[in-house]
Amino acid sequence: MHISFLLHNAYAVGGTIRTTFNLAQTLAEEHDVEITSVFRHRDEPAMTPPQGVPLGHLVDLRSQSPGYDGNRPEHARPARVFPTGDGRHPQYSRLTDQRIGAHLQGLKADVVVGTRPGLNVHIARQARPGTVRVGQEHLTLDGHRYRLRRELRYRYALLDAVTTVTEADARSYREKFGLPGVRIEAMANIVPPARLAPADGEGKVVVAAGRFAPGKRYDLLIRAFAQVVAAHPDWKLRIYGSGETAPKLRALIDELRLHNHVFLMGVADPLEAEWPKGSIAAVTSDLEAFGMTIVEAMRCGVPVVSTDCPHGPREIIRDGVDGRLVPMGDADAVARALLDLVEDDGLRKRMGRAAFENSARFDPVRIAERHAALYADLVARGTNDRTRSTLRDNLHRVPGVLIDEAFTLRRKVLSTLRKGRTA
Amino acid sequence: MTTSSSSRPPAAGDDAPAVPRADCTADSAGGVTFDVAVAAAPDAALVLRRGGRAGDEVRLPLTPVSPGRLRAVLPSTVDLPEGRWEAHVYGGGTDLTVRPGIRDLRALVSRTPDPRTDAVAVRIPYATADGSLAVRSWRRAPHAEAGDILFDDASMTVEGRLYGAGLGPGAAVEARLRGDRDRVHREPVTGAEHAFSFTLPYAPLAAGRDGAKQAWDLWLTAADGTPAIRVARLLDDIADKQPVFKYPVLPVGDDGKTVAFPYYTLDNDLTVQIGTP
Repeated sequence: MHISFLLHNAYAVGGTIRTTFNLAQTLAEEHDVEITSVFRHRDEPAMTPPQGVPLGHLVDLRSQSPGYDGNRPEHARPARVFPTGDGRHPQYSRLTDQRIGAHLQGLKADVVVGTRPGLNVHIARQARPGTVRVGQEHLTLDGHRYRLRRELRYRYALLDAVTTVTEADARSYREKFGLPGVRIEAMANIVPPARLAPADGEGKVVVAAGRFAPGKRYDLLIRAFAQVVAAHPDWKLRIYGSGETAPKLRALIDELRLHNHVFLMGVADPLEAEWPKGSIAAVTSDLEAFGMTIVEAMRCGVPVVSTDCPHGPREIIRDGVDGRLVPMGDADAVARALLDLVEDDGLRKRMGRAAFENSARFDPVRIAERHAALYADLVARGTNDRTRSTLRDNLHRVPGVLIDEAFTLRRKVLSTLRKGRTA
Repeated sequence: MTTSSSSRPPAAGDDAPAVPRADCTADSAGGVTFDVAVAAAPDAALVLRRGGRAGDEVRLPLTPVSPGRLRAVLPSTVDLPEGRWEAHVYGGGTDLTVRPGIRDLRALVSRTPDPRTDAVAVRIPYATADGSLAVRSWRRAPHAEAGDILFDDASMTVEGRLYGAGLGPGAAVEARLRGDRDRVHREPVTGAEHAFSFTLPYAPLAAGRDGAKQAWDLWLTAADGTPAIRVARLLDDIADKQPVFKYPVLPVGDDGKTVAFPYYTLDNDLTVQIGTP
C-alpha cells in the first residue's frame, strides 16, 4: 500500500510527531510510506525522522529560505477549511487551505492519514475520491471544545476511519458521534523497546517526567513524596521536564524543605536513559489522553504509580500486577502506593519485571500491523464498493457532502453578517 | 515550495551530515565506555580534547565490537585532568566531533567510593550546548563531598564525606571571600573520620558588606597542618549541579536588605552567596 501521513509540523518536538515517525518507520518495512508536514520552520527535523521515508513540506516558514512563504498575503488571511475550533487555527491560513488542498488533490496514495482534528477535516473535505481517508485523534473527544466537536461530527462522516489512542476515547466517538460506515478503532501509541538494559529495581529514586503544566499535578506528587521522605530519607524524587508551573513547584519544594530530596531535573534528551536510574515511576495527572511516559517507564522495567485518571492509565497498567492505580487528586493515596513499593524490595522488583513484560504489547511491529490491517480492510472495502455498486458509498457520502456544503454556506452567511455589522 | 508524490524530496537522512554518534556507559569506578557507529579504520581513535588547548588530549583506540560499531574505553586508571573534554573520532585522516547518543549513567547515581581511597576520579559524559559529546572530569585528592544541606533561621549545615583524608584535631571549614584574600571566616567541623558536618552562620559573612554581591568559597581543613580541600559535589550522574541543586534563599538579619544561599559553581564547588533580595 502507498500510505501518506499529514502532520502539522514534522520539524518540531512532540508526542504526535514521535509516534507518527515510529509508525511510519515500521510501516515502511512493508509499504510505500511518506510524510508531509504542513509547516517547515527549520532545516532539519528536531527529532530523528524515520529512515527511508520521504519527508516533504507544504509551507516554508524558514525566513532565510528562498522558498519562504511566511510573507505571502494569503498567509495573513484566516483559514477557511482548517476548522476554527482546532487550537492550531491561528497558524493556518488561506495559503494552507490551498496548499493542503492541492497536495491532497494531487496525492496518488491508497491511504491518507491525518494526525490532528484540523488536518482530518482537510482530508474529509479535500482528499481525492478513491483514497482511503483515516483521521487519527491523539487527544480526546471530551477534551475538544464544543465548537470543534460540533464541526467534527459532520466532517468525520466523510472519513473511512477514525483512530483513537484509547478504547475509552473510541467508545466516546462511537456513542457520541454515531458515524455510520466509519470504522472507529483504538490504536495504542507505539513505544519501541528500550535500548538500555532494564532497571534492576535497586535505585532509591522515583522518576517522573512531563510538561510542567497544571494538569500534570506535580504539586500533588511533591506533597506525596514528603510522606515518603519522612519515613525513608534515603529516597529521592527526580522530575524531568520544563514549563509554566516550574516556579510554583520550586517554591513548594522550598516550603516543604525538600531541597535535599526532590529535584527538578530540566529536560533530558533522550529521556529513555533516565528511567532505569530509578526503580519506581510516578504519574499524578488529572488527564492523560494516552500516557506515553507510563509505557516508556514500563519498557525500562520500572513499575508506575499512576492516578486512575481518564483515559490512558487504566488501559496500560494492571493495578497491583505491573504498577498501581490510585484515585485522582489524593496525595495520601499516592504516598501509600509509593511507600508500598519503597518498603517491599521483592514487590517492587516483581512489578518491574511484569511491567517490562506487559509493555511489549506496545512494540512497533505489533501496533503497526493493526494499523496496516485496518488500512488494508478499508482499501479492500473501497474496491468492493466500486466494483459492486457505488450506491452504498453514495449513501454514506451524499448526506455528508450535503451537510458539508450546508455547513460551509452557513458559515459564509454568518461571516457576511458579521462583516456587515462591523462595516 | 510544494512537494507532491510525483516530485519526492530525498529521504531524510540521505543528506544528513556524517557526524558519528556515540553511546556511553559509565561504571561506578569512574571508567567510561564509548560505542561509536562509524566505519573501522586501522588508526581509529576516540580523542578527548580539553578546552581547545593544543597538546591537551587523550587518545583511546577504537576497536570493532560488531559490524559498523567501534568501542573505546576510558579506564578509571587513565589520568584525565579536571576540565571539559570534547570527544572527537579520528580515523583515516578525518577528525570529527561526536554527537551524544544514549548515555547510561545509572552506575553514577548513588556512587559511594571507598573513603580510604587516595583520590576520587569522576567522569560524566554530557551533551554540550551546541549538541556535541564531551566529558566533564574531576580528579580530587583528597576530596570533600557535600551531601545534604540543612537550614535554620540564620545558618546552614553541610553534611558530607571525606575521601583520602580523615578528620583530626583542628578540623575546620573556611569561607573565603572571593576577590579579597584577607576575608576568611572559620567554623569548626565535627564528625568522625570520614563523615563531616559543619554549620556556617550567615551573619558573620554578611557583616560589613558594602552592598555588592559576595561569593564565599568553602574550603575544609581536615586537621591542623593539612592543606585545605575545596568542598564540592561530584559523586553522581549530573554534570552541571547548579540548575538542579537549588537551596532556599534566606534573609540575614532583620533589615530585609540581605539574603544568603549556597550554590554550586560551574565546577560543582560549593559557594555561599550573600546578596540583596
